[in-house]
Amino acid sequence: MLKQKITRRNFMEQSTAMAAAFAAGTAGLTSLAGRAHAAREKELNILCWEGYNSAQVLDPFRSSQAAEVKAESLTNDPTMINRLRAGETSVWDLINVNNAWARKEMWPEKLIQPLDRARFEPYFEKMMPAFKPPYKWATSDDGAELLGMCQRFGPYSFVVNTDKVSRATAEDQGWDLWNDPANDGKYGILESDDWNVFVLCCIAGFDPFKVHSDDEVVKFTETAKRVFKGAKLVGDPATMNQALVSGEIDFHLTGGTYSASPARADGNANIRGITPKKGPMAGGKGGISWIEVTSLVNNPQLSPLATEFLAYVQDPTVAHVVAFAEGTFNPVAQMANPDCFKLFTKDELDSIQWDSLEEEMAASIEYDIVPDYAKLLDIMTAAKREA
Amino acid sequence: MARRGSWAIPGPGPRAALPLVLLLLVGFAAPLLAILDYSFMPPRTFSLTGEPTLENYVTIFQSTSYLSFLWSLALATVTVAVLALTCYPISYGLVRVFGRWATVLTLLFTIPLFVSENVRLYGWVLFFIKNGVLLGALKTYLGIEFDSWLFTSSATVFGMIYVYLPFMLFPMTLGIAMVPNETRDAAFDLGASRWQVFREVELPLSMPGIVIGFLLTFVLAVGAIAEAKVLGGQAIIPVTHDIEIAFTYAQNWPLGAALSVLLMLVVGALVLLVLRRFDLDTILGRR
Amino acid sequence: MTSASVILELRGIRKDFGALAAVDGIDLAIAEGEFFTIVGPSGSGKTTLLRMLAGMEQPSSGDILLRGRRINDLPANRRPTCMVFQSLALFPHRTVGENIEFSLKIRGVSKVERRQRAHGLMRLLRLPEELYGKNVTKCSGGERQRVALARALAYDPEILFFDEPLSAIDYKLRKTLEKELKDIHRETGKTFVYITHSLEEAMVMSDRIGVMRQGRLVQVGTPNEIYVTPNNKFVSEFIGDVNVFPVEVAGPGRLRSSAIAGEFTAPKLPSGFSKGHLVIRPEYLRFLADPSGAENSLKGRLYNEYALGSRFQYQVRVGDQVFVVEKLRQQAYGGRLDDDVVIGWDARDSILVTD
Repeated sequence: MLKQKITRRNFMEQSTAMAAAFAAGTAGLTSLAGRAHAAREKELNILCWEGYNSAQVLDPFRSSQAAEVKAESLTNDPTMINRLRAGETSVWDLINVNNAWARKEMWPEKLIQPLDRARFEPYFEKMMPAFKPPYKWATSDDGAELLGMCQRFGPYSFVVNTDKVSRATAEDQGWDLWNDPANDGKYGILESDDWNVFVLCCIAGFDPFKVHSDDEVVKFTETAKRVFKGAKLVGDPATMNQALVSGEIDFHLTGGTYSASPARADGNANIRGITPKKGPMAGGKGGISWIEVTSLVNNPQLSPLATEFLAYVQDPTVAHVVAFAEGTFNPVAQMANPDCFKLFTKDELDSIQWDSLEEEMAASIEYDIVPDYAKLLDIMTAAKREA
Repeated sequence: MARRGSWAIPGPGPRAALPLVLLLLVGFAAPLLAILDYSFMPPRTFSLTGEPTLENYVTIFQSTSYLSFLWSLALATVTVAVLALTCYPISYGLVRVFGRWATVLTLLFTIPLFVSENVRLYGWVLFFIKNGVLLGALKTYLGIEFDSWLFTSSATVFGMIYVYLPFMLFPMTLGIAMVPNETRDAAFDLGASRWQVFREVELPLSMPGIVIGFLLTFVLAVGAIAEAKVLGGQAIIPVTHDIEIAFTYAQNWPLGAALSVLLMLVVGALVLLVLRRFDLDTILGRR
Repeated sequence: MTSASVILELRGIRKDFGALAAVDGIDLAIAEGEFFTIVGPSGSGKTTLLRMLAGMEQPSSGDILLRGRRINDLPANRRPTCMVFQSLALFPHRTVGENIEFSLKIRGVSKVERRQRAHGLMRLLRLPEELYGKNVTKCSGGERQRVALARALAYDPEILFFDEPLSAIDYKLRKTLEKELKDIHRETGKTFVYITHSLEEAMVMSDRIGVMRQGRLVQVGTPNEIYVTPNNKFVSEFIGDVNVFPVEVAGPGRLRSSAIAGEFTAPKLPSGFSKGHLVIRPEYLRFLADPSGAENSLKGRLYNEYALGSRFQYQVRVGDQVFVVEKLRQQAYGGRLDDDVVIGWDARDSILVTD
């Protein structure tokens, strides 16, 4: 258990050999998998962000269904989706990633399959107003299919220690905090490389979620080099929180309720996720937010438990457990339901910044695909290496 | 015909060895071959059967990846050097004081290995961090405030030394314990000074342990990643971290595989070089 | 022995390991050029004594004098003595030549001269020249013995110490090497101090022998003295198959034993002797056809017979006591097993020892 927890906290500690061995193993197993899983009534495999794989969430489901449930947590979307692309659609039943992937990539690539609208759309009615059906990220482009269920979400831009930089200053200055040479050495960068590509675009002054001009790529390169050079450290959320609390750094790049909530839950109310008031994205918005969508994998032998699990986590009690599963703490769409909301204590609401959640989400652009992500990531990786 | 018959039903020896051979092929050779294969696949693909290409290697040689290789090799070299200088006296003392029991005692140094490496490294972060155990205590009790040295390359080296100490200490202690006391006495009796006994007898006779310790720690240290991430705050990106990024965020398995192949080649070449220079059989006088 | 010829003198040497005295007060003078052997069973303290002489251990008390100079505090590497170890302690990572030349290299002797010396010693020890460049671990057992000796001789020590170097060698080779060692002793004229648990080995080579027991020297003398006149039961038994039985004085010139019925004629009684042991060597016992003329005789039964090559050995049971009788092949007893026999001896051939 302990080892698993650590693994999640530290973002993929697998060695290269492990990864490669796994790659080899899965590639070889793919062809066999279909035949191996003859009857899958009592088993369920979930590929997800951490939380859904916790015993608190899974154990009641396991005992009520007498099922064997395996969940593997990863901490970035591309890895999960590429596992399906590499042929693991016959292994997994559910995939839990951020908003844009289901609609824009997995559905067109036939990696996922649609849900029964009649059964699952009513759940959206009970969620927060923003999720009113047909909810964009849960629906196919043509509006015909329901592609997944929503639950956790949150703003995710940057985090400050409000004792050092006030919330108001941080919100006003926004991404320019990283354009001020005086701040060199005062900040850290969360090792969340896909999001770092987004926020570096914001710091460079352009929208991340579009194809970028050559000029913008040049600007991105400069920005990446400068920002990584000025960073005091790069690390995982636990390290960032530790560094913020101890005073090693004053703020860190890429973060929000997801990363700051554990520190806030520990009584550090001065650690706060910030959504900038202005920025280079559509409508002059400066923040970025994420909404998880959990979809049915296009598994030729999909477990019948997959849909049962999607319904199970919509239960108000379970939704509360998901919000506060081990690791990180996040708001859930089901909080609109009074039966669910009443389960949250004041401290829990504080740790997920409930007071500002609505305005932060309103000030944020929802996570989207970066068309030239690969190129920008390579540039950023090089910048990090050379820093 | 008879030959074909015997081929069809192999003798009991090969038959008994078959499961192990299969296990080794599947568990050891197959992943390596898969990595080798992937390294020649087109970038950002996920199939082992694509059109082979050298593109990944070209990409690496055109990039600044050499920096990561150099960092990894430099960190490993420094780690091995510091460990050699610190472990030899410790091993020597242990053997002289505890004799044959020294190797058993050395095993006590491996107890921390039962705790996850990350937990131990985070422990050091809490120890060294600003207002942490060390600096916090200094501030509270002495009123002195220092900047922490965390998130630097030297913190990374510290972490590596800490983590790999048992891997140097154990073979070294074994090596020193292997030097017969009478041989030491004989050299001394033949007029050698303490230093000459060390140089002429103890050092060469404990060389197998030293070389094994060197190789073990070097190979492990080149593969290190957590120290640079946790204690080093990614101030340094070792090649293992580059490989990890390629396999995760970049989702460029062929590039990661090519980096892995290159790393294996570099490390393999260095190990062979050392083994040629210090042939263990020669050192032990078996040839 | 005049004091001028003494090379090594021990005065009240003790070595305590905690409450245990490994060496319990030894006084000894070894003469220049002597082949002196210390014999004792394992645990008698002989190795500890030798290590103190070589400088690898410090005596707890007492003095070690080399040509009259106290050398207690002189470490081994500064003593003009050298040791051949039980394990030989050759340097396994070096060639035969490098092993022999070790001490010369340490002293900074030139390569040419070293090589010359090594070759000279190899000739002396009948080591084939082609072994020079060979790794020492490739040598045979006998060759290694000689290399170890050559290495010690190269040091040109005033005294050579030997710590049972032949104990792990098979019988035939050991016999050869014992004689060779004695030859080397003669040729080099150096003082040899040798320790062994085999009195037989000591007898072959030594000028004088010291028998050690529980940290003390119980008898020092020439091989002949030790053999002919052991001064206690331990020494007499240590020599090998002897007949020993408890006796006490029965009257003037008469002894009786609690183990055997009857009285015996005593050899010359040491003054103040009242009880002890009577020792009779197997070759001094005779089978008597007619016991009437014998000084001492016992009736017994022939229990067993062993052919020892040039000799025959017989076991004769007298009551509960077993007597060992040895005869040269030409004088073999012609009887059969379980014959009733009479054995006898002359009083002058028996030895009285204290415990």
